[in-house]
Amino acid sequence: MQLAIKASGEGAKALSFLLAKNPQNLYDRTEKGYRVRLTYTVFTATEVEVILFVTLDPVELVKNSPDAFKITQYINDREFVVSSLFCSYVRSALGTALNGRTLEEYLPWVNHAFKLNLCFGPLASDMPDSVVRRLFEPLAYDVNIEYGQTNYQFKLKDKSSARFLNLQGEVTLQNALKHLYVLIPALDNYKHYFMDEREIEKLQRYGEGWLVEHPLNQMIIKRSLRFRELIDKVPPELKGKTSEYFNSDTIYEALSKGSKESVESLQEQEPQLREEHNLDKSWKPEEPQINDAKPVITLNEQRYQAIVKIIERLPSKETIVDFGAGEGKLSVRLGNIPQVQEILAVEPTEKLLLRAIKRFAQASLQDGYVSPTPLWGSFYYYDERMRNKDVMILGEVIEHIDEHRLPRVMETIFGSYQPKTLIMTTPNVEYNRIYEMQEEVRHKDHRFEWTRAEFAQWSNSWASQYSYQVEIDGIGLEVEGVGHPTQIAIFSRQVGLEK
Amino acid sequence: MSQQIALPHAGIVLLVGPSNSGKTTLLNQLVEREVLLRSEIVSSDQFRVLVSDMDYIDLKKHSKDEQEVLYAKYQQISQSAFEAMSALINTRCALGKLTVVDATHLWPEDRKNYIILASKNHVSAMAIVLDLPEKILLDRDAQRELPRGRNRINQQVRNFKNNLHSLKTEGFSTVNILNERQLEQSTFIRLSNPLVKEAGAGLDFIGDIHGCYDEFLELLDKLGYNQNEEGLYVHPEGRKLVSVGDILGRGPKSIACIKFFQEHVEQDLAYMVDSNHGWKIARWLSGRKVELTHGDEKVAAEFEHYEHNQGKEATDRFKEQVKNFLLAAPSNLVFSKNGVEGIVATHAGIRDTYIGKQSNTISDFCRYGDTDGVHEDGKPIRKDWFAEHQSGEIIVWGHDPNHQPLVVNNTINIDQGVVFGGRLTAYRYPKKAFVWVEAHKDYAEDPESLWHKWKKERFSPPNIQSFLSGYSVNTEDYGEIRVKEEYVKSSIEEVSHYTVPIEELVYIPPTMSPAPEPSSLQDYLEHPKEAFDYYRDQNVTKMVVEKKHMGSRAIFLLFKDEESAVNYVGSPTLGTIYTRTGRPFFDQAMTRMIVRQLNADLTSAKYFAKHKTDFVLLDAEALPWNLKAKELISAQYAHVSEVALMDRRKILEKLEQAQEKGWDVGSWIEEFKLKLGNAKVFREVFPKYCWDTQGIEGIKIAPFHILAHSEQTFFDQSHIWHMEETRELAKLSDLFIETEFKVVTDEASEQEAIRWWQEITEDGHEGFVVKPETYIARNNKGRIIQPAIKVRGRKYLHIIYGIDYLQPENLTRLKNRNVSRKQRHALMEFALGIEGVKRFVRTESVARIHECVLATLALEAEPVDPRL
Repeated sequence: MQLAIKASGEGAKALSFLLAKNPQNLYDRTEKGYRVRLTYTVFTATEVEVILFVTLDPVELVKNSPDAFKITQYINDREFVVSSLFCSYVRSALGTALNGRTLEEYLPWVNHAFKLNLCFGPLASDMPDSVVRRLFEPLAYDVNIEYGQTNYQFKLKDKSSARFLNLQGEVTLQNALKHLYVLIPALDNYKHYFMDEREIEKLQRYGEGWLVEHPLNQMIIKRSLRFRELIDKVPPELKGKTSEYFNSDTIYEALSKGSKESVESLQEQEPQLREEHNLDKSWKPEEPQINDAKPVITLNEQRYQAIVKIIERLPSKETIVDFGAGEGKLSVRLGNIPQVQEILAVEPTEKLLLRAIKRFAQASLQDGYVSPTPLWGSFYYYDERMRNKDVMILGEVIEHIDEHRLPRVMETIFGSYQPKTLIMTTPNVEYNRIYEMQEEVRHKDHRFEWTRAEFAQWSNSWASQYSYQVEIDGIGLEVEGVGHPTQIAIFSRQVGLEK
Repeated sequence: MSQQIALPHAGIVLLVGPSNSGKTTLLNQLVEREVLLRSEIVSSDQFRVLVSDMDYIDLKKHSKDEQEVLYAKYQQISQSAFEAMSALINTRCALGKLTVVDATHLWPEDRKNYIILASKNHVSAMAIVLDLPEKILLDRDAQRELPRGRNRINQQVRNFKNNLHSLKTEGFSTVNILNERQLEQSTFIRLSNPLVKEAGAGLDFIGDIHGCYDEFLELLDKLGYNQNEEGLYVHPEGRKLVSVGDILGRGPKSIACIKFFQEHVEQDLAYMVDSNHGWKIARWLSGRKVELTHGDEKVAAEFEHYEHNQGKEATDRFKEQVKNFLLAAPSNLVFSKNGVEGIVATHAGIRDTYIGKQSNTISDFCRYGDTDGVHEDGKPIRKDWFAEHQSGEIIVWGHDPNHQPLVVNNTINIDQGVVFGGRLTAYRYPKKAFVWVEAHKDYAEDPESLWHKWKKERFSPPNIQSFLSGYSVNTEDYGEIRVKEEYVKSSIEEVSHYTVPIEELVYIPPTMSPAPEPSSLQDYLEHPKEAFDYYRDQNVTKMVVEKKHMGSRAIFLLFKDEESAVNYVGSPTLGTIYTRTGRPFFDQAMTRMIVRQLNADLTSAKYFAKHKTDFVLLDAEALPWNLKAKELISAQYAHVSEVALMDRRKILEKLEQAQEKGWDVGSWIEEFKLKLGNAKVFREVFPKYCWDTQGIEGIKIAPFHILAHSEQTFFDQSHIWHMEETRELAKLSDLFIETEFKVVTDEASEQEAIRWWQEITEDGHEGFVVKPETYIARNNKGRIIQPAIKVRGRKYLHIIYGIDYLQPENLTRLKNRNVSRKQRHALMEFALGIEGVKRFVRTESVARIHECVLATLALEAEPVDPRL
């Protein structure tokens, strides 16, 4: 990881005073786990260049890393790329220049716009070149991007994921460094440390005077802070004008999807901005591609409401199983339905289950609320706790099961669990063309999506096999010729007819 | 006339009679004549001494006050001595030993306790009563060192006489009352246990025949029995048959089966134990009111038919014989070889304390098994008695139809439901081999039968509650393996989202450790020497080294045809290919293409026919690396190599400029030249394992273990065998490649192997794996040892330990690694893998197979240094 700063033209030598680095000496500091070095490569009246680079102790680097139990822990780009880590390593070497302090006689140079060349890298970023340019060009830099070598003898990638930036502009040294201190962390793919309010302070300090005007202001802030809790705390004076999306979940989710730790809920149904591997295509963070047209009520919400309504009308609804409950968004709404006494929210994914537990704890503060019981469960196992319930719900679940595994799951549900009412929803694949989707299915974990005819035929066949009556309907805005976005089947057990 | 008195082989014998009757004298004689062992005799006097060091108290010398104290003390000691003696006798009874109690036992209350003790332990209680004239007793008393005195003797005799008449009704199995003359004329002998037989030239245990006489004869033929002139089936080696019962009922030819065993048992050519169907028919033949159901009505019909042909008189005679034969069948039989009672036959089950004993309770248990009430539908709730078996014998049993012989905890179920269309199984002892014949048809056609229920439920989803809070698996090779809740849960999550279907997920390959010690060479982290040293330390002298392919681990389950799969995985499929974490290796289309290709290749080479198998289960490495790991290679290895090269080149460039202009950065330049070199090695290494593939073109599969065929596993074969067999496989399909290997037995072959390793690893190859010759190897303490040790090359390890791992300051630190956890995991996962595959081959339930698989996944979820 390195940064070369070159000043050309009149007064270039003043750079050394602003940096407070004697051109006669090499700068070499070893701290715990890293070593910072600096040398000049040219020092003439009209051309001065310094290179600053950091080397890490690779063994020390991975100690206590959250990736300690991943095979790739020693194969780590953190050792090489510029990131917020780099910024903090070189903070003390660049301290004087960043603060704009120097000997009195050189003070005028602090505000002098040098003809500067800033070369830094390697850079590991998911931002396409076009976005990288749009980060720096508004700050009056010429941007030159250099790529690493990829000549592999087998087909692996078209372009290297290593980039090196060369910025040219007339800018004061202090401002140039401030730009880098905000934009390098924003460019980088992930953060190395725990983040708190101090990150907002840093943005305020280094972004002073330019960040609020930057056209990509909100993207920079979100990329820098990552977590909604932090983003929400950003003071208004730091936010640019285009901040109407600031608090919407969607843009946050869309932006955070690039990060590795983002958990995709299996319950997300709408086509939405996905993780974008391709760097150049459609990376438009400032224009979220949500079907945000007008639906004030999302399809998710409509589905929950429809299911709640169906359950409210059922004669028997004391005990309910929400099978594949995810983060409990549906389960949590069932606790207010009169007569309901027990809700089992069954889910095999720990992260989702933990979110559900949090959600239930919040909801159970209401009077008379029946808090759902989170249960670790799975379609591929048998669990006698789910037998003979009044209602079982499989909301947007079956499409996550491999089609060839579905029959055994259904046998367990119809044959062993035997709920009085079974409610099932699944996407209507015919509707996908309304979404103008590129992909075949609405979520990358969907193993299949069915037409109305397919779902009806499938439902009827199970119903007749296990003495259930089935009623099929749709949820969401109906479109002539394609039906509703969501299909729903309500199976009612025919008592006494059981085979 | 002399009288013979037979002492039982086990149980309690009480001597009854007043002091001076000669009880102790008699017992001493019996010990001398070797009828009894000294340790078989206990007496209250002996226990009084044992608990209190006091034998006898002479009260006469003491004052009245003192007498009272002493008497109370004496009472207390007597009571304690009695309790200690009872405890000892109880233990001996439980172990099936004989105990003779030498005391007066004048009162029924004195005797009652022993009758209860004996009955509780399912052994007999016998009384030998010495009824001598009072005069003799008094004469003898007078000659004693410490006479009891006339009064006491008088009193004892009175009590004895008064209670003598009730003795016969107190519950003793035998009561012998002997007067002076009778005692003199009696000879005492010792009976042996009627339930213990000699294993002789060998035994063939036969599962539940249920009237399938034709299949039975077929099996006898397969076992090598020939019919002699008298029509009896004899084995040339003198082997004998042992039926675990239920020879009749449900099937077509019950009478033929009964006749067979009646004759052969009579001729000492066969044994048969009691069973539920046999007992029911015996009671029916005894004229009891029994409802003949569950196929027993077919036996009645056969008798009717018999009567129709043979007439009533002959039939009645025959029925009487059959009744006696069935009633005489013992609940269990124990067979001994070289004096060791090694194998037990019973029908439905037995407890360890019942072995070799008879009682009504035991008979019931052996007939019906361990039942605990009944289900709603009236079926008994079965408990797994075999889980508690600890006493070492092999227990062979039937009753519960299982698709394959169920071997659990030294118990073997050999009822494979021939009458339900399954198989008739024989278990050969001491060879420990199974022989079977297929049923000609499903005779019972009973959809409610356990067999059908088992067939239906075999592929039912496993019960999640038996796993959720952590659980244990009993493995044959490692014993109990416990997995923790948190890791089980995360594995269930994995199975719920990503793996191939549970039914097809039958084996997860175990992890593999490097040698416990890092290389002693300065610039190596791993070297073959330490692996060879490890095995030598474990007393392994012959090793197999196998080239380690650098690709991705893949398990191949390939079926003969789609239909054959139904019996093993519950639905038709040509096969499945999955990764070491159980996920599908390829997408569906690609899987289908490869499986089809392999199926076509193996079929045209007649692989399945030649090996008489429905499937082959292979442990393999699939190449190239980028086939599966393209994303990882691109995002991690290639990316890091690109940034490292870029970073180091750029820095070096700038430093060289600086040097040119006079700055003293020479040492920095040296450092960066070296580091750039390291980055170049790294860049060179990882693409070695990658090449382009087009469809199935370019894909190479290197199988190295043939885990199983449909009738057998191959864990008993050496690694040389596995290498040779996989080499044969490689000839059958272009997709398969063979794995180079060498055998190491001495210094020279070891050096040769090391040279080979140097050569291939310098070329960037991953390295090799050192294995003991046998698949399952144990050291001389009997402990299972590492099934394989990997030795990775110097260059290859760059992609594991990092670009600069060979820099001395890094290498010395990296050598401080600890492999003990990894090794423990390797052993447990190895044992679980074997256990799961064995269960799969025995076509046990999905739940039983899955508990092994899930446990391995859970162990793999535990944090272990992944670089090892």
